[in-house]
Amino acid sequence: MSAPALMTSLALAYAGMLGLCLGMDRHWKQLGSARLSPRWQRLCRPLGALLLVLAGYAASFVWPGGMALVAWFGLISLAGLALLLLLPYAPRLVLGLPLAGGLLAGLFALF
Amino acid sequence: MERQRSLTQSMSWLHTWAGLLLGWALFAIFLTGTLAVFDKEIDWWMQPELSDRGLGQAQAAEVAQRWLEREKPQASGWNIGLPTERAPQLSVSSGEQRRGERTQLDPATGEALPVRETVGGNFFFHFHYTLHLPRMIGIWVVGFAAMAMLVAIISGVIIHKKIFKDFFTFRPAKGQRSWLDGHNASAVLLLPFHLMITYSGLAIFSAIYMPAAVDALYDGDRQAMFRESRPGAEQAQQAGGGARRAGAEQGQPRGRGEGARPQAPAAELLPLAGFIERGEAHYGEGMVAGLSVSNPGRADARVTVRPLLGSRIELTKGEGMVFDGVSGRLLDAPEPSRPSLLTQRVIAGLHFAQFGGYPMRWLYFLCGLVSCVMIASGLVLYTVKKRRQVKADSSEGRAFLRLVESLNVAAVAGLSLACAALLWGNRLLPAELAGREFWELRLFFGVWLLSLAHARLRAPLQAWREQLFVAAALGVALPLLDLLLAPGAADRARLGLDVTALLLGATLAWVAWQLPRIATSRARRTPAVQIAGAER
Repeated sequence: MSAPALMTSLALAYAGMLGLCLGMDRHWKQLGSARLSPRWQRLCRPLGALLLVLAGYAASFVWPGGMALVAWFGLISLAGLALLLLLPYAPRLVLGLPLAGGLLAGLFALF
Repeated sequence: MERQRSLTQSMSWLHTWAGLLLGWALFAIFLTGTLAVFDKEIDWWMQPELSDRGLGQAQAAEVAQRWLEREKPQASGWNIGLPTERAPQLSVSSGEQRRGERTQLDPATGEALPVRETVGGNFFFHFHYTLHLPRMIGIWVVGFAAMAMLVAIISGVIIHKKIFKDFFTFRPAKGQRSWLDGHNASAVLLLPFHLMITYSGLAIFSAIYMPAAVDALYDGDRQAMFRESRPGAEQAQQAGGGARRAGAEQGQPRGRGEGARPQAPAAELLPLAGFIERGEAHYGEGMVAGLSVSNPGRADARVTVRPLLGSRIELTKGEGMVFDGVSGRLLDAPEPSRPSLLTQRVIAGLHFAQFGGYPMRWLYFLCGLVSCVMIASGLVLYTVKKRRQVKADSSEGRAFLRLVESLNVAAVAGLSLACAALLWGNRLLPAELAGREFWELRLFFGVWLLSLAHARLRAPLQAWREQLFVAAALGVALPLLDLLLAPGAADRARLGLDVTALLLGATLAWVAWQLPRIATSRARRTPAVQIAGAER
């Protein structure tokens, strides 16, 4: 069981769901529109999908194939749910969280 | 267009009634199932007399063998539960494995440890698939509820109008809108989990729910089907009585007693510790869970090495390597399952979640909690919707709504309260009380009944808040109780349970605290104003 891979996978799952979320007009207006040009929005969805695939790849370092697939579904579901709750209650954390998650994963990897 | 509308309407009707009438049972099934993910850890917590001595399995087997040879030399069989990561205690029983009373041994002294009788985490596991009804009735009721769950999931997908558009939408403090958002989001985001856990739950008992194929092909002889799907099964059953839970769970008849056959002459049993190593050679290091011995001290002694579940998704319950207990010869090793059996066992394994270690267990636990939230929010949503319509409605409609409201409170808040009370009872009831586990059960069901009475007497909002607050208080204070009454027992597993109870209690308290805000915004006709205020 490797904690860094698990954290990385979770962070990627969250970032992937965030990508899918930003690809939607409603949430893009809520989060991204002030800072970025609309061209970025079109990138969000494919980028999010790619990150989700990478989350599955990271999970395969924690579990063997079949189990990683099961866990992948669970991870992206729960990451999506976390995003769903952050959006109304703590919108400022929405973009910062994957960074924090990545950082945490890095720290885990170091120690 | 006309047909489309009527489809949505009829699906909506189906969703409402399948969800409402079976929702109470479903919440109980899902909550106890979620807790049963950590059944062994709850077991451990509920017997604070036990402590992890860090004993190796080989040593433990030696201690157990010495004790059994001294105390139970005439038994038809012995069972030894070896210390493992999740259950670090050494336990023994004699006779048939499921029936025999377990004795906990102190590995240091080799004496029996006095531990409190308790229903343990096993209670949640059994309640999860029988609702504490007589076994077969319970299995059928739970199966019916699971079927209703499948119906509700599929009809729910059909009636959800904006499944992708609302994927990440949750608007709190908007009354009915929020309940619907919460219900939708917890359902849609975890749809794979809901489908998987419901379908796999049904598939475990497929032989009970759908016996036609076995009746037609094997003349109703389940044993014959299992023989054919797993060549080694029959031998293993006779040799070890090794089918622990699996036999009964998959609807096989239990292993026959050995009493009918004439006894073989006496012969010395090999040291059991040696079999562990041979089991590990096959299953991997640290992957042995226990040993079963049939006919100990006789020439036809058989030793079954039972593996720990969890090295694969496939559920290998009841499997084991069978050795001759006198010569040590390997008689039977599990063969890879045939595709049909493998399919069934992978699906069952997905449900039992014994694979993937603690990270996977936590994923299942969290997903299960979200399922509970989904069911509970659906139940509440019904009353929120109905309350608007019923104002102009008949008194009959009102009485039904009142009934639903009180059942909702008792099913959701009351059961959470009863579960917390069971943990409290485990610490508070005197350890040497006779028939102690029955008192724990009485406490659990007594609290649950009281919660129903309370829900009938109080106004809905008060009933919800009071019960949720009490449940929250019990959860939050559980670590304190544990540290006060069982100070020596604190270890990682027990503290983990304490902290989890604390966090769940805090969450319940937050929900109870938020409820009036949601309720008042529901009463207002113009929620937009409320939202502007709430978002500052």
